[in-house]
Amino acid sequence: MSLLSVKDVSLSFGGVRALDSVSLELNQGEILGLIGPNGAGKTTLFNCISGVLRPDHGQIRFEDQPILRLKPHERAQRGIARTFQDLQVWHSMTVLENCQLPFDALSGRSTIADALRLPWANQVERESIERARAVLHSLDLLEHSERLAGDLPVGLQRRVEIARALAMKPKLILLDEPASGLDADETNALAAALNRIRDKFNVSMLLVDHDMSLVMRACDYLYVLDFGELISTGRPERVREDPRVIEAYLGAAAEATTEAETVKARPKKKLEVLPPVSPQPLLEVKDMSAGYGGIEVIRGISLTVGRGEIVACIGANGAGKTTTLRAISGILRTNRGKVTFDGKDITRKAPEAIVRLGMVHIPQGRGLFPQLTVAETLRLASYSGAASVDLTPALDAFPMLKTRLNQAVGTLSGGQQQMVALARALLVQPKLLFLDEMSQGLAPAVVQQLFERIELFRKSGTSVFLVEQFVDSALAIADRAYVFEQGSVAVEGPASVMRRDRDVIAGAYLGTAVAMAEVSSNGNGHHASALLADLSIKLPAELKRAVQERAASEGKDPGEMIAELLAAGGRAK
Amino acid sequence: MIVGRRGRIVAGLLSLLVAALVPLLLPVGMQNLAIGGALAVSVLYAFGVLSVVVLTGYVGQVSFCQATFMGISALATAALVNHGLNYFASAAVGVALSFALGIIVGIPALRLRGILLAVVTVGVALSFDYFFFQDASFGWFNGGLSGWKVEEATFFGLSLNNLDFDHLIKVYWLLLALFAVIAVAIVNLHDSGSGRRFRAIRDSEVAAATMGVDLTRYKLLAFGISAAIAGVGGAFFPLVEGAVTHDPFSFFHSLTLAAVAVLVGIRFIPAAILGGVFLQLFPYAIAKLEQGLNHQDIGLTWFNAVLGALLVFQLIVYPDGVWGSQAKQTSHALSKLPVARRPVRAVQ
Repeated sequence: MSLLSVKDVSLSFGGVRALDSVSLELNQGEILGLIGPNGAGKTTLFNCISGVLRPDHGQIRFEDQPILRLKPHERAQRGIARTFQDLQVWHSMTVLENCQLPFDALSGRSTIADALRLPWANQVERESIERARAVLHSLDLLEHSERLAGDLPVGLQRRVEIARALAMKPKLILLDEPASGLDADETNALAAALNRIRDKFNVSMLLVDHDMSLVMRACDYLYVLDFGELISTGRPERVREDPRVIEAYLGAAAEATTEAETVKARPKKKLEVLPPVSPQPLLEVKDMSAGYGGIEVIRGISLTVGRGEIVACIGANGAGKTTTLRAISGILRTNRGKVTFDGKDITRKAPEAIVRLGMVHIPQGRGLFPQLTVAETLRLASYSGAASVDLTPALDAFPMLKTRLNQAVGTLSGGQQQMVALARALLVQPKLLFLDEMSQGLAPAVVQQLFERIELFRKSGTSVFLVEQFVDSALAIADRAYVFEQGSVAVEGPASVMRRDRDVIAGAYLGTAVAMAEVSSNGNGHHASALLADLSIKLPAELKRAVQERAASEGKDPGEMIAELLAAGGRAK
Repeated sequence: MIVGRRGRIVAGLLSLLVAALVPLLLPVGMQNLAIGGALAVSVLYAFGVLSVVVLTGYVGQVSFCQATFMGISALATAALVNHGLNYFASAAVGVALSFALGIIVGIPALRLRGILLAVVTVGVALSFDYFFFQDASFGWFNGGLSGWKVEEATFFGLSLNNLDFDHLIKVYWLLLALFAVIAVAIVNLHDSGSGRRFRAIRDSEVAAATMGVDLTRYKLLAFGISAAIAGVGGAFFPLVEGAVTHDPFSFFHSLTLAAVAVLVGIRFIPAAILGGVFLQLFPYAIAKLEQGLNHQDIGLTWFNAVLGALLVFQLIVYPDGVWGSQAKQTSHALSKLPVARRPVRAVQ
C-alpha cells in the first residue's frame, strides 16, 4: 500500500523553480532514497511534505488522505516525523527532554494539571520519561540523556534528532542529510542502524543525502532529482547505471573514486610545468603563534608558499589549520613570530591592508553577501582599482554563472555559491589565495569540478594555499603539503610523495589519535575496543583508515593497536 | 537544568521567607507608611517581572506591554470595587481581562518574531497608555483624571479604611504567599510536558511544529498566562495604595520591567522578587538620599540612568542575568561535588 504519495508538486521562489512537477510514491515499510546534486530541490520537497512550505501546485496524500491543508503539527499527529539538515535540536533542553517532547505534544497534556502537578500529570510524566529512555537506549544515547542537547558534538546531535523523531512513534520519518558531518565509518554504521530501526520501530523512511555509500546501502528504491525535476527512479543498482543519473550526479563522483589512478600520472606532469622556484618565497611565516582568549591554539608555525605554487594544508579537525589562515591574513592577532608577504613584513597589519597587498581569503562558509546578485558580487572585485570590471574571465571559467547573473547569491546552492566566491577571487587576480574548507557540505561531483578550477589560478599566476578535508583531492592538485597536528606543523613535503606514501600522513594523524586516546582513556577509563568508536566523533576518516590498515597489516584489533601505542607512550613514526 | 525541581522550589521559598522577615527586622523608626508601601509594591512589580520571565525567558516571545497587562487589571478591579462588587470578584475579573488581552496581543506573535513583534507590543502599550488609561472619554474605565479611589472594600479581612504600616505589612505577606503559590506552579509547568512545549518553541519553532506542537495554541496560551500573572500584580495595586491612576502602567514601565528582567536573569523565577525589590526600593533609596521623600521623580530619573548603565555592565559581565549567572556558578560548583550528583534513574 502506498503510504505517502506526492503528485505533480511544483514550487517557485521568486521566479526560480525549486520543484517542477515532482511525483513520488512511498510504500509502507520502505526506505526511499531521494538523491540529486546541490540545489536539486530535495530539502524543499521535505519542507512541502512536513508542512513548513506550501507548494504552488500538486497534491500530497498520506495514508490516502490529502494533507496539504494540514498544519505541521497536524501532520506530525498523523505520523510524519522529520530531522533537519541544519540541526534543530532544542539546544537548551536535555537530551531526555528532547525525546520526551514528541510524546508530550501528542498526548494532549493539560496545562493546568501540569502546573498543579496533579497525580495523573505525574503518571503521564513518568510514562513520557520511560518512553524517551527506551528510545534513547535503542540508539545508544542513554549515557548522554542528562546533557544539554546543544553541548553535544554534531554526530551525536544528529542521532538525537533521529531519536526525537522516533519518540513520536511515527509511521514515516523524513531524514534530511543524516550523514552530513559524519565520517565513512559512522556513515556505514548509520546505514545499518537505519535498517535496524525500520524493523524495530516499524517505520518507513524517506532519506535525502549526498553520501552515495549511505543511500546505496540503506535504500530500497531511489528517486533522483536534478534542478527540481525528477530524472530517474528505480532500485539502487539500476539507478547507478542510468546514464542520465551518471551525467547529473554520479558521473563525476564515479570519477572521484578512480581518481587514484589519474592522479598517479599528474604529479610528474606538474613538475614539468612548475615555474622556477624564485629565491624569495611569496609568503614566509616564521615561528608564528596565535590563539583565542589567552589560549594558544597554534605554536611555532613556520611555512612558505612560493610564487605560482599550490600548497595544501591538511590535518585532523582542531589541528589549527583555520587558525593559521586567520593569523596570516590578519583577522587574528599573532602573539609571536614574523610573517613576510611579497617581501614586506605584514606581521600584525590590519586585514584590509593585507588584502590590498594581494592576499585574498575565502573563509569557511564562503563569506558572500546573500542579498547581492551574482553580477554585483563579481563587480565588487573592482576594489582593485579598475573602473569597470570585465567579467569574461570569471564567466569563462564558470559558464553556469552566466544564466544566474541576476540571481541573489543567497538563493544559490552551496556549490554554486562556492563558484561565485572562486570567480570573484579570479577577477581580483590576487598574488595569493587562501581557500578554507572549500568542499565543506558539497556533493562529490561539485567538489571535483571546483578542484579542477583551481588549476586556473596557477595559470593566472596566483599562488593557492588550501585547507582541505578531502585529503586525496587536495594532494592531487597541490605541489607541496603541510600536515598539521595539534597546533603545529608535523610533516611537510612534496604532495606527490605524501600521496604515494600514505604512511607519512597516517603517522602524523596517528600522533593526534594517540594523544586523543590518552585524553579519553585518562578521563573515562575506556576500554581499548571502545576507544575507536569514541574517537570517531573527533577524527576524520583518513585517520581511522590509517589505524585500521595498520592494524590489519599486523593482524591486530584496531582498539588493541591504539592501546599498544598508548602503552609505548610514543607516537607512530 | 542541573539543579532539580525540588531544589529550585526550596531555594525559591527560602528566599521568599527571608523577604517575609524583612518588616519584622526593621527598626521602629522605619516602620512607616512609605516603607511599608514600598515593600508591598515591590512584590506587585515582582509579578510584573515574573510575567516577563515566563513569556520571554521560557517561551522566547518579546513583549514591551507587560505594564499594560498590569494596568488593565488594576483599573478594572478599582472600577468594579467602586461599583460595589467585592474585592475578590473584582480582582478575578481584572485578571481575566488581562488574560484576554494577552491572548489578543499574542495573535500577531503567530506571524511575527523578534523585533517586529516587539514593535507591535510597543503599539499596544502606547495606545492603552495614552487612550484607555488616560483619556476622559474612557472615564468609566480609568476613573477620570485623578484615577480611582478605593476606600470601602475589604479583602480577606484587610480593610482599606485604615492604610497604616500594619495593614501594608499584612498585604505584603499576603502578596508574598500568593507569589509563592504562582511561582511554584510556574516551576511545575516549566518541568512538565507543557513547559517542554514552551521551551521547544523558544529553541526552535520549526522543530516544535514538525514534532507536533500546536504553535497557535501554545503561543497564545503563553501570552495569556504571562498577562494573567502581570494582571495578578495589577489587581492588588488598590489594596496597597487605596487608589489607582494610570501612572504605574505607562509604556515606560513596560520597558523598565523588561530591562529589569534581563538584568536579574530572564530565565530564573526567584530573580523576579529581586527584580521587584530593585524596581521599587532602588528609586526610593536614591530619592531619600537626594531630596527626601517628596521627590520621587528625581529618584526615578536617577534610577533610569543607573539601570541603563547596569544593563550595559551586566550584559557584558553576567550575560545570564545577575541571578542567573550566580545560579549557574553555584550549580556548576555543586555538580563537581560527588554528593550533589543526581543518581541516574533506573529504567522502569
